[in-house]
Amino acid sequence: MGIVDSPAGRRGIRKKGGRRSKRIGFHLDMTPMVDVAFLLLTFFMLTTTFSKSNTMEINTPPEKLEVKVAEKNVMTMRIAGDGMAYCSLGNEAPKRFHLYDAQDIRQLSLSRELRSLLMQQTKSNQKLVIVVKLSEKAKYKQLVDIIDELNLMKIDRFSLDDYMEQDALEIKRAV
Amino acid sequence: MTPMVDVAFLLLTFFMLTTKFRPPEVVKINLPASHSVQKLPESNVLTVTVSPQNTFFMGVSSQQSREKIFNAVVKPKLKNAGVSAVAIADSLKQFKLAESFRVDRDELDKYVVMARFADPKLRPVVKADADAGFEAVNHVIKVYKKANLLTFNLITVLKREVR
Repeated sequence: MGIVDSPAGRRGIRKKGGRRSKRIGFHLDMTPMVDVAFLLLTFFMLTTTFSKSNTMEINTPPEKLEVKVAEKNVMTMRIAGDGMAYCSLGNEAPKRFHLYDAQDIRQLSLSRELRSLLMQQTKSNQKLVIVVKLSEKAKYKQLVDIIDELNLMKIDRFSLDDYMEQDALEIKRAV
Repeated sequence: MTPMVDVAFLLLTFFMLTTKFRPPEVVKINLPASHSVQKLPESNVLTVTVSPQNTFFMGVSSQQSREKIFNAVVKPKLKNAGVSAVAIADSLKQFKLAESFRVDRDELDKYVVMARFADPKLRPVVKADADAGFEAVNHVIKVYKKANLLTFNLITVLKREVR
């Protein structure tokens, strides 16, 4: 396949017993080399992943900044370690929801009732601020799932807060 | 055929040179899933990894910052422990090559502040296992807040599920 014509190709009419005559009209088979090159090329093309991790950006307010919100516009969502979410509007007694649907074994998204509650509350009250409080027993996955869900619903009025002992007492009032 | 082979070799060299083999991970991290598609920049990243056992690892992407952190935090510690200069230089070499290193819970703030000091443009990132406790992650967030790093990223993987 790879044919290399020596520039002296025409001259190459056999002289008697000359050593140079061997170089004339000289062929080089490049096929194996090209095969290897393509093999390596495909290998590197397939193994290269221009992978950058996906991220979620979180903005936290500076410590000193305080925003005052009317109590009726606050929905508190407390996540205890038991896989339940306790939602309460203002000062009401919290309502208990399952964080994930029971049939959703891989826990891909929040439970339907919790989603519809969030949806309905934010629709009915434009000024609603959701305060999410996770107890120490909660998992990081739950935090990510909640933030993800809120991002999907385009709810950007939410904040994270510390889980206090008072919150643990509040949960006991749950219905 | 020659031009085709030329192009093939060009591509081959390109892919060979750009391929970076993933460095071995210190701990296996099972990332949580989300729908976020925002990409993480490759340079100037300060990563705090939280393992499922709630231990902390820290890593900085640039080697200069690693050296600065080493000189500021690790070196005095080694000196106090009576380690010889040769051994310190040796551990600096290792430190510069390591993708991340183990950090104690109460020392994390010191390291983060030093990293920020070494390179103010660092992007803070939390890479936590889905099973890590919220408490440990919250600790990292508080440390970032204290270091005045108010915008940070959580690394997730894309959720493949239809709604």
